[in-house]
Amino acid sequence: MATKKFRCNVCGYIHEGNAAPDTCPVCGAPASEFTEVKTEKKSWWHDKNSNAYILVYATVMVVIVAAVLAVAALSLKSRQDANSLNEKKEAILASLGAVGQPYDEYISAYAVDAQGRRIESVSADDALQLLFDLKKAEAAATYPVFEATDGRVVLPVSGTGLWGPIWGYVALEKDMNTVVGAVFGHQGETPGLGAEIATEKYQQKFIGKTIFDGDRFVSITLRKGGAQDPAHEVDAITGGTKTSDGVTAMLQTSLGHYLPLLEARRAERSDAETPSDEDGQTL
Amino acid sequence: MSNKSVKYLTGPFSANNPVIVQILGICSALAVTVQLKPAIVMALSVTVVTAFANLVMSLLRNGVPSRIRIIIQLVVIAALVILVDQVLKAYVFEISKQLSVYVGLIITNCIVMGRVEAFALANKPWPAFLDGIGNGLGYGLILVIVAFFRELLGSGTLLGFRIISESWYIGEGGWYSNCGLMLFPPMALIIVGCIIWVHRSQNKDLQEK
Repeated sequence: MATKKFRCNVCGYIHEGNAAPDTCPVCGAPASEFTEVKTEKKSWWHDKNSNAYILVYATVMVVIVAAVLAVAALSLKSRQDANSLNEKKEAILASLGAVGQPYDEYISAYAVDAQGRRIESVSADDALQLLFDLKKAEAAATYPVFEATDGRVVLPVSGTGLWGPIWGYVALEKDMNTVVGAVFGHQGETPGLGAEIATEKYQQKFIGKTIFDGDRFVSITLRKGGAQDPAHEVDAITGGTKTSDGVTAMLQTSLGHYLPLLEARRAERSDAETPSDEDGQTL
Repeated sequence: MSNKSVKYLTGPFSANNPVIVQILGICSALAVTVQLKPAIVMALSVTVVTAFANLVMSLLRNGVPSRIRIIIQLVVIAALVILVDQVLKAYVFEISKQLSVYVGLIITNCIVMGRVEAFALANKPWPAFLDGIGNGLGYGLILVIVAFFRELLGSGTLLGFRIISESWYIGEGGWYSNCGLMLFPPMALIIVGCIIWVHRSQNKDLQEK
């Protein structure tokens, strides 16, 4: 290990050993022509390809990056949460066609269980929070409902499209049957095809549809090739069949969760008054 | 700016275009060009990320161990993208919603890494930054051209505005029908191919003998 290096001043030959050789094997110069080459022992932080340098570099790099990202995520979290909460509120108002109304005064939020009974332990804020993981809330039989002051209700729905989750809000008239409006969102459906469900133009097709056929729950179907039943069907998206099927299944399942509530309300109404056209009218 | 700086910036528009000459970033060029709007948003995001990834890697270039440089590049690019995504989510929520999945696509975009590897590691920060902007815009140029044709012929709209009158459509009693093929990724490849064809025929020095 401790070998020294000696360079021949005449020809440049480098000898390795503890002392200079008697004569240079290349040019024959005597030992006096040799000088020791002081190799500076390279410290690991100078040798960029040493393992120690690479390990330390990678570690420092990762720690710095992690710290930057953590600080950014923590400091921006409250703003981001406020934004996404606001988005939910706006979507709820949009489904009612009431964009610009003050949410807090206009909407009362609560949750119902599988029998349609109101769950008292869920506050209005909790009901909004349930929207962030609606699948989990539905699995736990906690179904959030957003009721406008005029008696119309917004029911959140969630399902699966072609590439990922899809979700939406369906607003029902006071008769708990006629659709006032629907808003859909998606994470990554194909632009121009499945993603069309998120366009206002497509969502308008749902307005005025009814989810009950007499007393039977039929939901709304997205029919490939064009709607045949004008009351309960909507044209599917051309080239977006999988997404359309996803929406159909989502409406069927998610609205189905609210059936006890809807049927109870419908029964209340037909008991209380003779059916009139007044409330069922939509644009 | 000196002539040289201008060259870093404008070279990637035509003679050294990342998509049609270097053939980088084809994957995302297929994915986001169905409509003009996501194409533009994607082009701008890639420009920002390429420019700053180039800048950061150029500043680090003397310290990066060459054996793990690709991983370091990946960390820098991914961190930048996440940072941009977080800031967008907090301050311009609408834009971040439009970007949604495309943010992830930026990290995998070959142009970002290609330019860092080929240019930033061997050049000073300012030229590297300009090179990043130039390549991002060169990429965007092709994206916009492809998206223009795909949205116009596939949906009859541009940026969501109707260009081809509703009354022309067969369903409305007209004679016109959208080209459904335009909505599918292979059509983007064919359009890119056509652009390369036209471009090569105009630039004799790029033609392979």
